[in-house]
Amino acid sequence: MDVPRSGLENFIFTFFNAEVAQKYLPDLLQGLVITAALSVCITLSGVLIGLLLAMVRSSGKRWASVPVVMFADVFRALPPLVLLMVFFFAFPFINLSMSAFTATCLALSLVLAAYAEESIWAGLRSLPVGQREAARSCGMTALQALVYVQIPQALRVAVPPLTNRVISVIKNTALGSVIALSEVLNIAHSATSNSGNPTPLVLGAALYLLFFIPIIALARWWLETTWQYKR
Amino acid sequence: MQDILDNFFNWDVFVQVFPFLLKGLWTTLWLSALVIPIGLLSGLLLALWITHTRSRTGCWIANVYVDFFRAFPPLVLLILIYFGIPFTGWEIPKVMAVCVGFMLNNSSYFCEVFRAGIEAVPKGQTEAARSTGLTQWQTLAHVVIPQATRKVLPDLMGNCIEVVKLTTIASVVAMPELLRVARDAQSLVYNPSPIILAALMYLALLWPLVRWISVMEARRK
Amino acid sequence: MNPATILEIVGLEKSYGSTPVLRDVNLRVRQGELVSVIGPSGSGKSTMLRCCNLLEVPSKGQIVIDGVDLMHPNTNVNHVRQRIGMVFQQFNLYPHLNVLGNVTLALRKVQGKSKEEAQVLAMQALESVGLAHKANSYPGELSGGQQQRVAIARAVALKPQVMLFDEPTSALDPELVGSVLNAMRALRESGMTMLVVTHEMAFARAASDKVVFMDDGYVVEEGAPEQVFGNPIHARTRQFVSRFTEGG
Repeated sequence: MDVPRSGLENFIFTFFNAEVAQKYLPDLLQGLVITAALSVCITLSGVLIGLLLAMVRSSGKRWASVPVVMFADVFRALPPLVLLMVFFFAFPFINLSMSAFTATCLALSLVLAAYAEESIWAGLRSLPVGQREAARSCGMTALQALVYVQIPQALRVAVPPLTNRVISVIKNTALGSVIALSEVLNIAHSATSNSGNPTPLVLGAALYLLFFIPIIALARWWLETTWQYKR
Repeated sequence: MQDILDNFFNWDVFVQVFPFLLKGLWTTLWLSALVIPIGLLSGLLLALWITHTRSRTGCWIANVYVDFFRAFPPLVLLILIYFGIPFTGWEIPKVMAVCVGFMLNNSSYFCEVFRAGIEAVPKGQTEAARSTGLTQWQTLAHVVIPQATRKVLPDLMGNCIEVVKLTTIASVVAMPELLRVARDAQSLVYNPSPIILAALMYLALLWPLVRWISVMEARRK
Repeated sequence: MNPATILEIVGLEKSYGSTPVLRDVNLRVRQGELVSVIGPSGSGKSTMLRCCNLLEVPSKGQIVIDGVDLMHPNTNVNHVRQRIGMVFQQFNLYPHLNVLGNVTLALRKVQGKSKEEAQVLAMQALESVGLAHKANSYPGELSGGQQQRVAIARAVALKPQVMLFDEPTSALDPELVGSVLNAMRALRESGMTMLVVTHEMAFARAASDKVVFMDDGYVVEEGAPEQVFGNPIHARTRQFVSRFTEGG
């Protein structure tokens, strides 16, 4: 093997080593699949749970809204990594073991649900009272008014901040590497240690960016086109 | 129930590890106190640059920087810096790796918040200030920035809370902040109560702030 | 022949905390009548109207709509509300649905009509207010007067027994008021029973069968328009209407 001479060649050989990259790319791509699967699970369950919680809170009953508010407060105050560790390291002690995937999904879904509930609730509160009154006045039940009139409008208000929050939360899937989930970062880090070359880390970072940048751009475009009222 | 008490809320373990966790909390606090101002300042400068520069390329570069580091998962960034840089021959100290990683990440988020605030200040404010003879910098310092900051205070506060929560990733590079200490304690006593105690301490630290933000946001509606 | 009583209010009282807003209100609306309720701000007219479909819950009293006691514990309020149409000052059209969607929503979800059936009924209602050609527009694209007429169509489509109007033209620019009042007149021609809270004195005088003057939570005086406007009995009524009529 030729020894590189110039500083730049050295840099490329270290951080952008084609040979090492080729060797570990398949594993990294598998890790990316895990990241993607995790992101989808978290987004769907987090937003759904948050929506349900906001609907429960809108009933106005104290026994319903107080627990929801407490949930939202606690899961926005706790660092996600702490939650992950509680689920993965602490729960087995009370006979509730779970896989790294489940722990990551559970922890991040609950975090997203807390933020989603707050965003949707803010959306519901921003609606003029007359909307609910108009719906109830023609005989709709409280649930029908929520589903057909209030929530569609609340979502329009909530979706922009919520989209940003979803992206933030799913970036935290990288935390799964701390509990040995085989997602991209974990594989990249071990590959770097095994090969003694940081190219896998650089490649892993690049894969993350390739995954997230299109999502962010898509989200921005989607927000601008679908979620504005026709004037 | 007894199971939960023994494993999660074991009083003896609590008493045993509390002093260590307290040290960890201290690390979390000074780490936060270090990276938050850096993030705030760099974010503010970036936002000022983006909103006031006449150079289109300069603006574009700044925007790319912000979008880039908002798309980059913070843990990946930290690991890349901490484990990658040594390959260039330079041993980077933990604190520096954490600070650089956090700065790159936070400045982007704070920039977005400040930018929204600055753009929300009516142009008439700047015009009025300049017509009384204030320089560009004076106008910014005494008229624009104070108003911008006041408008986005809840969002700024929210971001600060995020930074404090983010300090937990420093545990991955073995910085002795609260989570790391708790994890080490758990392995020693073979009981997860330290982690639960650490969680409770984070709650005690951050819940009041979260509540305060909710109240502030509700008040301004 | 005495037309049947559609809406009867007996001894209605309402307080917010310790502040009384309605004190012993009694009112009767017969089938096909248009009854206007006038009075100064704070007289309780809107509150009384909103009690009629239980948007406000009375503290005391009885409200009977077409024989159904609204306050009775067994009464299914959602069912009764289908027979009461309400038109609001702020229109309250659903911005996320187009005009047709606004009118068909309750037809489909509350009355369980099929999509095609609902559409036919909705278009009929929109025809009656002259806005069938705007079926695919969104509320944000319509003028205030048009929005209010769509709101009327939305209520009328459910074929209610009685229509309640809460200051329907107060939020409109003056030049748009006429179109809404015309729609209301047309509705009356078709035989609808209407209870209208309004500041439009000319309309109240010309179009009503009965005018009710409220002040400070009471019904002060009621009667035919010529009597209430032209020859009021009570001093307070006289004081109020004199502001709107020149020379008695």
